[in-house]
Amino acid sequence: MSAPLASRRVANLAPLLDPSHADWERHAATRIALAPTPLGLQPTPYVRNTWKDRPYGALLALDVASVHDGRGWALRASWEGVSAPGDFPDALAIALPLAGRPVLATMGSAEAPIHYLRWRADREAVSSQIAHGIGSSAAGPPIAAHAAARAAGTRWQLVVSRPLGAPHGAAALQAGVSTQIGFAVWCGGNDERAGIKAFSIDWLELALDA
Amino acid sequence: MSTRQVAMVMDLNKCLGCQTCTVACKTLWTRREGMGHMLWNTVNTQPGTGTPHGWETMGGGFADGEARPGHRPALDEYGRDWAFNHQDVFFGGDSKERLVPNGGAYGKGANHDEDTGAGEYPNSYYFYLPRICNHCTHPACLEACPRQAIGKREEDGIVLVDEGRCKGYRFCQEACPYKKIYFNEEEGVAQKCIFCFPRIDQGVTTACSRQCPGRVRFVGYLDDPAGPIHKLVNVHQVALPLHAEYGTQPNVYYVPPLSPPKLDPDGNPTDEPRIPTEYLVSLFGARVHEVLAKLEAERARVRDGGESELMDLLISRKWLDMFGPFTRHPREAQPVHFHPKRQPT
Repeated sequence: MSAPLASRRVANLAPLLDPSHADWERHAATRIALAPTPLGLQPTPYVRNTWKDRPYGALLALDVASVHDGRGWALRASWEGVSAPGDFPDALAIALPLAGRPVLATMGSAEAPIHYLRWRADREAVSSQIAHGIGSSAAGPPIAAHAAARAAGTRWQLVVSRPLGAPHGAAALQAGVSTQIGFAVWCGGNDERAGIKAFSIDWLELALDA
Repeated sequence: MSTRQVAMVMDLNKCLGCQTCTVACKTLWTRREGMGHMLWNTVNTQPGTGTPHGWETMGGGFADGEARPGHRPALDEYGRDWAFNHQDVFFGGDSKERLVPNGGAYGKGANHDEDTGAGEYPNSYYFYLPRICNHCTHPACLEACPRQAIGKREEDGIVLVDEGRCKGYRFCQEACPYKKIYFNEEEGVAQKCIFCFPRIDQGVTTACSRQCPGRVRFVGYLDDPAGPIHKLVNVHQVALPLHAEYGTQPNVYYVPPLSPPKLDPDGNPTDEPRIPTEYLVSLFGARVHEVLAKLEAERARVRDGGESELMDLLISRKWLDMFGPFTRHPREAQPVHFHPKRQPT
């Protein structure tokens, strides 16, 4: 496993909810390798046949930094690829294990679900979703998650934030405790949606400062 | 696999192209936000490019049993709901300005090539082709959806989108070779003909069939020996699926249209029908030849004073006999409520 993604404690989270705030420069970003989801894991023959000769999930790297202030948690992601408005939006999902030891590539299982916070470029709200396997995501706990996004030329800068703890059954994030985190990125301009995406292959360790 | 299958037969010899079916469906089902462009029932002029524009060239369905990639129609290809230039006409100051509908890139919207047809006078020809979702036995939309948001009802084979599960991925639109699935941009979900299932559940036939002034549409179960569908499809075998080669086993069938004889340069009738049979074969398959011959023969029998169960069935003197077990009056049924609001996720 690669080096942990550190979530540094800051005195005040509020200014860092702005993805272009200068304070983010103090928190070194970790470059996370991404890869296309395996074609064989796409759940229907139609999707597999349609995408077998078509590139997708071409984003290779996602730059991520994280902070918390003991009450709230924020993650700043930036990546190359701002799509023009079309049928499908650019999007990013943050995955956190909810219980057990879920497999990221299969979006968890009945016994080991995954909690996702999903941002999409055409909506302001972040959606909270629970998945028990591929194609199973449904409305998740009503956590107070927010997003602020900025398209800086061809590059997205996005901050997703949520409270610490495990409100309403959300995946737990606790100061001084490590957990696991995963990512998925969709390029809307390439018609990417559902399982057609880039993902972080496996979990990374997310270490929150005490 | 469903235990039973409801189906529809449309007799193209009787379709007037009046769009009453289209309006009946439109006013009953597609009045929510984002549904303005939706016509779950369409009637297009053939030969023509249909709705959505050029749908027969958009792929989808199955080839040799394998799911075939397809095009996802854009709103302009379906045809937009008309917008009028009211402002220019009434307040623009130009008395020559005329009211003109704007139906998107193809002008008149869904029915952009109405009554255009083909051929040269005096042998020009056209006929009308009404279409709804085919509620296929092997639905490409259902099999494409990664969310399992499309289901086929066990009791009657009606194919429905579960808007609570649909996330607007639109693979179903690509996979459907008939392009009979629409996308609601306001609600972010796929929507389509529901074969009026809330009416069917109460013994009332579909709105499009009940409202049809031409008595074009028969409704019933495929396996009901007393019903019109079984008789037309299985007994008399004069009702054919549209583009069966798409591989989805559609459950809407068509009685192909006869036509008057083609005229020679002197204006005398020839042995050729005005509508080229090969064109009908391209839509309904090779059995068109025998079906047209059978229809001609049965017509001749009646013309000569004989009796024909098939002609009696197609003429439909007793209107309610067209609807199998679905003969209740809508007034006798509970009011229809089908407005599932999607819970955003």
